[in-house]
Amino acid sequence: MDIYKSGYFGADYTGVGMRNIFRLLQVLLMATLAAGGFATAWAQAPICPPRPVSGTLVQNPPDISSQNGVLSVDLTLQNQQGTDGYMHYCYVYMSQGQQMEAPTLRLNPGDQLILNLTNNIQEPFDSFPQKLKLKFKNRHMLMPMQMGGTHQAGAPDDPCHGTQVLPSSTNIHFHGLNVPPVCHQDDVINTLIQSGDPTFQYDTQIPANEPPGMYWYHPHAHGFTFTQVAGGASGAIIVEGSNPLTDGLTEHVIVIRQEFPTSGGGDPEDGPSILTVNFQPAIANLGLPFINAQVGHREFWRVVNAGTTAVLNLQMQYGGVAQPLQVIALDGIPLTTPTNYTTINLPPAGRAEFIAPALPSGQQGVFLTAGYNSGPIGDVDPPAPLVRIRPSQQSMQTYQAKHHPATTPIATKRFANLRFLTPTSQRNLYFSEEAISSNGPTSLFITVVGQKPRVFHMDDPPAITTNVGAVEDWTIENRSGEAHVFHMHQLHFLVMEVDGVPVTNPDMLDTVTIPAWSGSGAYHSVKVRMDFRDPNIAGTFVYHCHILDHEDGGMMAKIQVNPAN
Amino acid sequence: MRSQFVLRVVLIFALTPACFGAHSASTTSASHPSPPTYVVTNDDAGIVFDENTISYFIAGGSPSAPSLTYQNSVPIGGVGGGGGNFGASSIVSLPDSNAQCLYVSNAGSGAIASVNIQSQALAGTFSASPTDAGTSNGIGLALNRNYLYASFTDSNTIATFQILPGCQLSFVNDTNVAGLNGGGIYAIAANATILIVTYGDGSIQSFNVSGGVPISNNDEQNSTGYIADNNNLPSGIDITQDGHYAIFGDGAILTTVEVSDLTSGRLAATRSYQLGASATAVSPTAVGPGIGSANVRLSPDERLLFISNNQSGNITAGFFNPATGGVSPGCISPRLSGFYNPWFYLGSMVTENTSGSGGVLYVAEFGKQSSIGILNINVSGGTCGFTESANSPVSDPVSGAALISLWAYPPRPF
Repeated sequence: MDIYKSGYFGADYTGVGMRNIFRLLQVLLMATLAAGGFATAWAQAPICPPRPVSGTLVQNPPDISSQNGVLSVDLTLQNQQGTDGYMHYCYVYMSQGQQMEAPTLRLNPGDQLILNLTNNIQEPFDSFPQKLKLKFKNRHMLMPMQMGGTHQAGAPDDPCHGTQVLPSSTNIHFHGLNVPPVCHQDDVINTLIQSGDPTFQYDTQIPANEPPGMYWYHPHAHGFTFTQVAGGASGAIIVEGSNPLTDGLTEHVIVIRQEFPTSGGGDPEDGPSILTVNFQPAIANLGLPFINAQVGHREFWRVVNAGTTAVLNLQMQYGGVAQPLQVIALDGIPLTTPTNYTTINLPPAGRAEFIAPALPSGQQGVFLTAGYNSGPIGDVDPPAPLVRIRPSQQSMQTYQAKHHPATTPIATKRFANLRFLTPTSQRNLYFSEEAISSNGPTSLFITVVGQKPRVFHMDDPPAITTNVGAVEDWTIENRSGEAHVFHMHQLHFLVMEVDGVPVTNPDMLDTVTIPAWSGSGAYHSVKVRMDFRDPNIAGTFVYHCHILDHEDGGMMAKIQVNPAN
Repeated sequence: MRSQFVLRVVLIFALTPACFGAHSASTTSASHPSPPTYVVTNDDAGIVFDENTISYFIAGGSPSAPSLTYQNSVPIGGVGGGGGNFGASSIVSLPDSNAQCLYVSNAGSGAIASVNIQSQALAGTFSASPTDAGTSNGIGLALNRNYLYASFTDSNTIATFQILPGCQLSFVNDTNVAGLNGGGIYAIAANATILIVTYGDGSIQSFNVSGGVPISNNDEQNSTGYIADNNNLPSGIDITQDGHYAIFGDGAILTTVEVSDLTSGRLAATRSYQLGASATAVSPTAVGPGIGSANVRLSPDERLLFISNNQSGNITAGFFNPATGGVSPGCISPRLSGFYNPWFYLGSMVTENTSGSGGVLYVAEFGKQSSIGILNINVSGGTCGFTESANSPVSDPVSGAALISLWAYPPRPF
């Protein structure tokens, strides 16, 4: 049984053909050529901490946990060009006199998160060749974009009113957390921290009814999100909660990122990239990253796809056979009923939490992506092994899931009973594209039916206006020949229908893949239910495609939620 | 090898000027003029280890089911670009059935190849400045009797070459250009006196080329369509036979073309014509007839304007009035066979006949396996229609994922 964010679409990798096989060879060539660079990338004194080399043990990211209801962390976002030419972006914090990168932030529902962010991004900002930049197709990306604010770079005034998005601008999005869309909490429209600005403080409270699970953080400066996330700027957030299924199991926190090496041959337009696992390149011929699994013991995996473009179809194979993975949560929200799947479709920004079956004695396993057909004009997402699972007689020296006091029952969590409410509005939206060249740039749109498609600009008015208290059903189509990934800020949504067919046991997600149109027949679509009942949702925020070059390219729009009357 | 040699001999014979009879009478249906029509593609192979080629196809089939048959491919001494701007021509000749030379851009190696049409022999490859480059989105070509112009999309330069006997070219100089809004060069078109340029940012410009080297007419401007909707980007260009009008195909969500009056010797403000229907409903048909309209091509009699809907796989036709420059909605083809599997973009178009409506329309189909679409053009009174041939598409066995531009012999007479 496959899961496509719960088995919504038939996942396959059948659209291979000679062209894709050639591209796969290009990817492998790129990977091989880039590998040498990875091995020596940090020979010089780095600004960013060293990242692990290929073929070594996968370590969980460093943890920072809340204490007495507060998690306070100082992060600096900085960049460094490795000797391989690749531009790394790293979230750095100091721990016991050492620089550490991209910590996992662990909090409980109701905790306060204080994150002090310093922007230390310096030129050069990226290392992508011209042809790859063209792939990041749009008329705005990699060019400054004016905004309506008053804040000047380096000034002590409030970056809540940014004036211009520059390659050195940044901010943070707490992806999936249901927190207010306001500056200092989770605003990406007006908040811009320029390089040289004083340290900027994020201060937000995890809602007491926040579902326990995996979330993540990443930059969201429009036009430059791809560059910074592709450079590695991301980290996991875990909202703790007791679960009898996972308590006491060895926990693996896996952040899958995606890099675009610039060395070597191949055609960057075809999107050669390398997936990394907790920063370790997953390159088979260098030795895959590995995890020692205790023979005969189930283990708990939390996986976030922090890649920029790659849609993953994750599998755990033992002896070449895909194993049933007991999925307990998607996008941070526990499933009503944990369900076994052999393939988990994970779009960029998606998260899956599952229990891997016990590794039998004498067997090895591999954690992999089986590849994804992103459509006739989509990126190539080839099959790729990610992690080798080695048998061990001992449990790994990894974080053991903590036993926390029982939290609020799921039934009373946020979004409870959403399925049974009557929507107050119905809306129809669609993804579409228009190009004047086979090589880009392409204009990318997400449009409310009846409105004129337009490439997103930070000054745009909201495309949708609604009120606190509303419950809306949105049908979102993909009218283009490549897959798109719908993401809603601030909210999870309930996936009610897929391709017009009601979902029997709908899941709450914040990111969902809509496959490419095949060129004939109906467009693929989802109908999702949006819950604007929480008064903290009031404000203006965005929805967009989470394939990040699409987002940077303008496949984004604003929604304004007015306070209740 | 032997069979290819025989084919080549046959083709040389067929293309010998002595074989070229008078053009057939104007026709509005698919009949095959004598001599036969050849369609030639710039295969544009962008693979570093492969030499780019042009491929020859011969028109045939029946009037109700026209066809193309692959003949052979000719290496042209460089590396292609693997695609590029839909609206830029990368294979051109003089619009004359006595034309001797075919000029083809090798975008990957930054040079222009020249091929003798009759012998199919490569006459040479010609470079401009060492800094001229067009690897990202190709090298567009345009010419008149004395000069060939090449638009390099990376360096934003227009190279001027003097056309010499024997299909030789002599580089004259480069002209640096830039769009009004920071965009790069997109496509060019020329006649004896004017060179017209589109940029990828909604602006257009013309140059006086009476003396060969382009001299700006100081008329750079945003197009009217772009001003109204910045999704509309003038892209491909055609010029009427009398040089009175320039017609721009817009990269646009709904099929849009623009027309500029050239009477003054410069570009007048364009008139914009939206021919596409609005996409408002949530259904498969609401894709809106005609996404993208970057390629435009007048019929030989200038009564029809053919438009490639690059991203929706249709061909739209508008009725063109050569007296006023006006365009009115005509017809749209069904989505062509093979859209999204195996091809996914439409490129340039040529007609089989050199008079009337053109009879049969051939269109480049870019995809993981590039091909040529074949449509009968049906005109009756004030209506038009397209019927895709049962033999369409015809695969280009050499191009792979790169076919944007094709050319026909004998060429349209302007």
